[in-house]
Amino acid sequence: MSFLGYVRPDGAVGTRNYVLVIPQGIISKSICDFVAGTKTILTVDHGSGRTANDRETIARILIGLGCNPNVASVIVHAASPGAGYPELYAERLADEIRKSGKHVEVLDPAKDGGTFGAIVKGIQLARQMVYEASTLRREEVGDEHLCLGVKCGYSDTTSGIAGNPAVGYLYDKIVAEGGTAFFGETTEIIGAEQVLAKRAATPQVSQAILNAVLVQESRAKATGLDIRTVNPVPSNIKGGISSLEEKSLGAIHKAGTAPIQGVLRYAERPESSGLYFVDNWMGHLSIFAGYVAAGANIVLFQLGGGGVTGRTLLEGSPSVVAPFLWCTANPKTYAAAKDSIDFYSGTVIEGSETPGEAGERLYRTVVDIASGTLSRSETLNYAEPIDMYLQEPRF
Amino acid sequence: MAAKRALIMHPYDNVATALEEIRAGEEVAIPVVGTALTVQAAEPIPFGFKIALQEIPKGEIIRKYGETIGRAGTNIAKGALVHIHNLEGTRARGDLERRGEG
Repeated sequence: MSFLGYVRPDGAVGTRNYVLVIPQGIISKSICDFVAGTKTILTVDHGSGRTANDRETIARILIGLGCNPNVASVIVHAASPGAGYPELYAERLADEIRKSGKHVEVLDPAKDGGTFGAIVKGIQLARQMVYEASTLRREEVGDEHLCLGVKCGYSDTTSGIAGNPAVGYLYDKIVAEGGTAFFGETTEIIGAEQVLAKRAATPQVSQAILNAVLVQESRAKATGLDIRTVNPVPSNIKGGISSLEEKSLGAIHKAGTAPIQGVLRYAERPESSGLYFVDNWMGHLSIFAGYVAAGANIVLFQLGGGGVTGRTLLEGSPSVVAPFLWCTANPKTYAAAKDSIDFYSGTVIEGSETPGEAGERLYRTVVDIASGTLSRSETLNYAEPIDMYLQEPRF
Repeated sequence: MAAKRALIMHPYDNVATALEEIRAGEEVAIPVVGTALTVQAAEPIPFGFKIALQEIPKGEIIRKYGETIGRAGTNIAKGALVHIHNLEGTRARGDLERRGEG
């Protein structure tokens, strides 16, 4: 099967066609406020006082977003406080992004007439880049160019029995057609790691899955807390989930049944196609930016929602340049926020569709949105800040 | 009166998930391959919550998806609600670790 996408110089295919301006800050925001068709990120982490590992993670996010096929061209400015570290030099970020074959421009207030001068030059550059991007046309390409990321959240028992299985069907289909798919949330595979380890493509991958759980479970135990006061979160418990293991065993259904090709770090790009486990954290402001930096061109939030009431507007757009889909299998969640939800699979619980039929309908929804139909959250002019998954102490 | 519906995820499971609001005393039908299991709800089981399909003695493993989701923290009667009041998660429990039980 196929979708309509923007073919980039490195052969990757975009589902969107933005000009990206990075890193965060007043220069990026001013350019994006002024010029249509641009995106930037909001985040508090500039790298200042961060360890080399964490600075490299920040760099992976920025470079990865720039390389994402949903981006036509990139402007990098050199005014961030974190720019004093070599990993985050604007020229370094720009050089890495240029390896994807994209047009990248660098703004340096020291050479471009200060902050105001850089903003003016940036607006002029961005207008030209947006114009050039608009001359590109979508082409019909195979599903092997889809790269998906998923998180399940506000999980309840509808997530494990209907919502996640529909996503699992989609994942199996895209992986079988040669595409790429990410799942993760290491805390939320605790109790289900043996099931996943058996699905690893190699013994090394199997061991890497078990190791990721060992490290995360040791951290949890070191707190001395009953994990149920942390995760499952209160809304999970209100939705009927009784233990972390139960949450995990429901959560892994979103990953389908394909072999797991590897374990990736947060925001790490895979070497090949297929299904990958990402050793990341579940927070939605964190996880989606990581998937998109690793190359995801469309992302899904599979929502339970049984434990939350009164949410009639689902905002969500922490994925910067990738369309973000809300999916749910909970009839109450769907009834409350119908016009925010891209896909509903409560039909499986109601008995009007099989999981396979719901999964097929989700696949068609994804292909439509990949081809240019807006996701519901894309109709909002709203971007949430990015909480980069940095794991080391600050100094 | 038609029986209420609950879903079993795996034949080995000793709990099922309510697919509708179930009142105390109502019959619950659980489709299992080759048979039709029914259980009488001992108490209200809200939508999405779990009902015990058999008596589960304290300390016994509670299974869903064919896997362990915890242990019975008390003796659980057939037809009872199974949730955090009588199901003890066993993984990542820092509190048990601190007490030397992890």
